[in-house]
Amino acid sequence: MTATPESGARGIRRGARLPVTGSVALAVVILLWLAALVSPLFARRAAEIRLEERLAAPSATHPFGTDDLGRDLFARVMVATPISLGIGLAAAAVSLLVGFAVGASAGYFGGAADLLLSRVMEVVLCFPVLFLLLALAAFLPPSPAAVILAIGLTSWPGDARYARAEVLKVKDLDYTRAARAAGASTPRILVRHLLPNVLPPLLVSAAFGVAWAILAEAALSFLGVGLPASTASWGGILAVAPTYIEEAWWMALFPGIALFLTVSAYNLLAEGLRSAVVERGSR
Amino acid sequence: MIRYTLQRLALAVPTLLGIVILVFLLLHLAPGSPVTALGAESGRRVSARAAEEMRRLYGLDRPLPERFATWLVRVGRLDLGESFVDHRPVATRILEALPYTLLLNGLALLLTLGIAIPLGVAAGGHPEGSLDRVSGVVLFALYSLPSFWAALLLQTLFSVRLRWLPLYGVASDGTPSGWAGLSDRLEHLALPVVCLTYGSLAFFARLVRSGVAEARQHDFVLAARARGASPRRALWAHAFRNALLPLITLLGLMLPGLLSGSVIIERIFAWPGVGRLFFDSILARDYPVVLALSLLGAVATLVLTLTADLAYALADPRVRDGTEPR
Repeated sequence: MTATPESGARGIRRGARLPVTGSVALAVVILLWLAALVSPLFARRAAEIRLEERLAAPSATHPFGTDDLGRDLFARVMVATPISLGIGLAAAAVSLLVGFAVGASAGYFGGAADLLLSRVMEVVLCFPVLFLLLALAAFLPPSPAAVILAIGLTSWPGDARYARAEVLKVKDLDYTRAARAAGASTPRILVRHLLPNVLPPLLVSAAFGVAWAILAEAALSFLGVGLPASTASWGGILAVAPTYIEEAWWMALFPGIALFLTVSAYNLLAEGLRSAVVERGSR
Repeated sequence: MIRYTLQRLALAVPTLLGIVILVFLLLHLAPGSPVTALGAESGRRVSARAAEEMRRLYGLDRPLPERFATWLVRVGRLDLGESFVDHRPVATRILEALPYTLLLNGLALLLTLGIAIPLGVAAGGHPEGSLDRVSGVVLFALYSLPSFWAALLLQTLFSVRLRWLPLYGVASDGTPSGWAGLSDRLEHLALPVVCLTYGSLAFFARLVRSGVAEARQHDFVLAARARGASPRRALWAHAFRNALLPLITLLGLMLPGLLSGSVIIERIFAWPGVGRLFFDSILARDYPVVLALSLLGAVATLVLTLTADLAYALADPRVRDGTEPR
C-alpha cells in the first residue's frame, strides 16, 4: 500500500466505498444518535419512581418492564443512550489525540525519541487494561469526565501504534520533503501535511476505539466504579440486574441489547471503514 | 541470534522499570488512602490522631521517593509486603487465589485454541464458502458481545430458568467427594469458562482465518498441491504453518486480555481468583495487594511477549538477522 498525495483525506470521499455491512452499521449508528436526540423527552418518565409498579413485566404501558423502583425501563434505556454514545465518542477522541501525538512523534523523529516513546507504549500495553482502568476509575471521583479520562488514557497505545506505522510510511514521501524544504516547522508538517494523510487509517482505529470505550464505560458502571448511580447508564442498570435475576429477566435483557447493538454497530462500521481504506490504498 | 536476544533483553529493561514506576505512581498519587477506606468501611470516623498513627505505621508519612526506594528494594528481594486488610503476607493471599484463576484461564485458553485453530483454518481454507460466511457472522457477534451481559443471560437461562447449573461459586456446600464432587466442580466451572472463552475465541479465530486465507494464495501452497500434497496437507502443513508464526507473538499479548476478563467474570460468579482479589483490593485501597498484582500481571505479559518474540526469531531468520519480516 503506497500513499500518494491524492490518496489523502480526500481519497476516502472520492473513490472508496463502504461495503454494504458498513453502510447498514452507519445507518444503525445514525439511528442511535437520533434516539439520543429525542431521549430528553423520556427524562421525566425515566426518573418517575412508582413503588407500586416495581418489577413489572414488559407490557403495553411498559414495553421493557419496570425496574426495582418502578421506573419505566424503556425510558431509562433511552435516557442512557446519549450518555453512552457521548462518553464513547469523547473517550475515543482523548485516546486518538494522545495516540496521534505520541505515535506520530515517535514515527517522525525516530531514533532515541522513537525508542523512548515505543517503550512507553509497551509499558501501558503490558498491563491488563481493566487493571489500569479500575485503578484510575476507582481513584478518581465518579463522574463522566473521570470515566472519559480513564478510558482515554488507557486505550491510546493502540492508536499510537497505528499513527506511528502510518507516519513512517509517509514521512519520506516527496510532499513531506517538499514541505520541509520550503521551511515548514515540524508541528506544521505533522498537523498540516502528515495528519490528513494518516487520518483515514486512524479513523478505523478510532471507530474501534468508540466501540471499546462504550463497552468499557458499561463495564465500569456495571462494576460500580463508573458513572455515579444517579446517572442512568446501561452498565448501571445491568449492575442492579443480578439482584433481581430470579424475578426480573427484563432488567438484564433490554439494557444489554442496547449495549450489544451499539458496540456491534461501531465495530461493523470500523470494519467497513477498514476495507474502504484498504481498497483505496490498493488502487 | 545472540545479538538479537541481547538487544531484545536490553529493550525489556526500561520497559520493566517503566512498569514499576507506573504502578507506584498510579497508586501513590491517587486520592484516598487505606486509612480513609478503613474508616468508611467500619462506618466510624477515624480520629485525626489515630489516622496519623496509622499513616506512620504503614509508612505513608514518608516522602514519595523514599517510599519508592523502600518498596523497590523489597520487591527486589521478592518481599511483597503484607495486606492492609488482613495483615497476611501479600504473597500468601495471591498464592491462595492464583490456582483458581489458572484453572479458569487455563481451561479458557485450551478451549480457545482448540476451537479457534480448526475453525479458523477451515474457514480460511475456503474464503467466502458457507462455513466462512456463517462463522464470520457468529464470530463477529461474539466479538462484540459484552462478557458481563452474556454472563447475566447465561445465568438467567441455565441457573434460574432451567436450573441445570449453579448460579455462582466454586463448589456446592458440603461438597461430596469422588466423582460426584468432580462433576459438581465442573458444573460450577461451566458458565465462567464459557464467558471467558468466547471473546478470545472470536478474536483468535478471526486472526487464524485471515492468516490462512492470505497464506493459501502464496505460490508455495500451489507448489505443494502440484507436488501431489492433498488439499488438507497443503492447508495445514503449508498454509497454516506459515500463518502460525505471527500468531505466536500474539499469544503473549492475550494474557492481559484474559486477566481483564477474569476481573469481571470472577466477580459475577463469585470465583475466588486473582481477578476478584484485585477488584476487592482496589475498593479497599489495599495498596500492597494492588501493587503486587499489577506488577505480576504486567511482568508476566512482558516475559511472555519476550519469549514469543525470541521464539519467532528462532524460527524466522529474517527477524534475527535484522531484516524486516515481509
